[in-house]
Amino acid sequence: MKMVRAIVRPEWTEEVTDGLAEAGYYSLTKINVFGRGKQKGITVGDMHYDELAKTMIMMAVEDEAVDEVIKIISGKAYTGNMGDGKIFVSTVEDAYTISSGEKGL
Amino acid sequence: MKEITAIIRPNKMSATKDALDKIGYPSMTAIPVLGKGKQRGISGELNFYIQPRLLAKRYSTGMKYIPKRLLSIVVNDEDVDEVTKTLIEINQTAQIGDGKIFVESIDEVIRIRTGEKGKLALK
Repeated sequence: MKMVRAIVRPEWTEEVTDGLAEAGYYSLTKINVFGRGKQKGITVGDMHYDELAKTMIMMAVEDEAVDEVIKIISGKAYTGNMGDGKIFVSTVEDAYTISSGEKGL
Repeated sequence: MKEITAIIRPNKMSATKDALDKIGYPSMTAIPVLGKGKQRGISGELNFYIQPRLLAKRYSTGMKYIPKRLLSIVVNDEDVDEVTKTLIEINQTAQIGDGKIFVESIDEVIRIRTGEKGKLALK
């Protein structure tokens, strides 16, 4: 099982979640976050914005679904500009459903 | 060390905190989050009539996202079972939407104040 954390533009979140739902991946958690990347924020005229608003989409998926999920997210959140975001994948060792107490997704 | 990420109902927060205090794991990070599970939000329970012309505009009934609380608790390997068991016991209402628990490995923990690492930092 893998945890996919994607940091995307807030205005593209719905696009991404709709795309995931179409492919059958409904379960997710989204968090409003602030961050910056390699470009150290953004400078517009004289103003420098150090941290930019982003949305983090967090979802646990089975190992074999990771590639498809990454493909959908990177396809839907793509604008070709800096600030499109990043996707991180980490390993989940155990998952429990609280309502039944069962292991697994 | 393991990180336990639990997504629970917001109204179970104080009960969860009390229970974890009691068994000796008071430290945690809590974040208010929005999410949905297999049931795609609570669309079924909050159904109401909606005009066809609005439906065509992709308006839908129900709630797309449900507010939840995300807890992140870092514990030693041997304590994982106890904490997950307590979390399940306290948060279980046997209805859908009770949440999920994920267990992940953490490579290193550092206490910023003293620079202590590993188990010392968790004490």
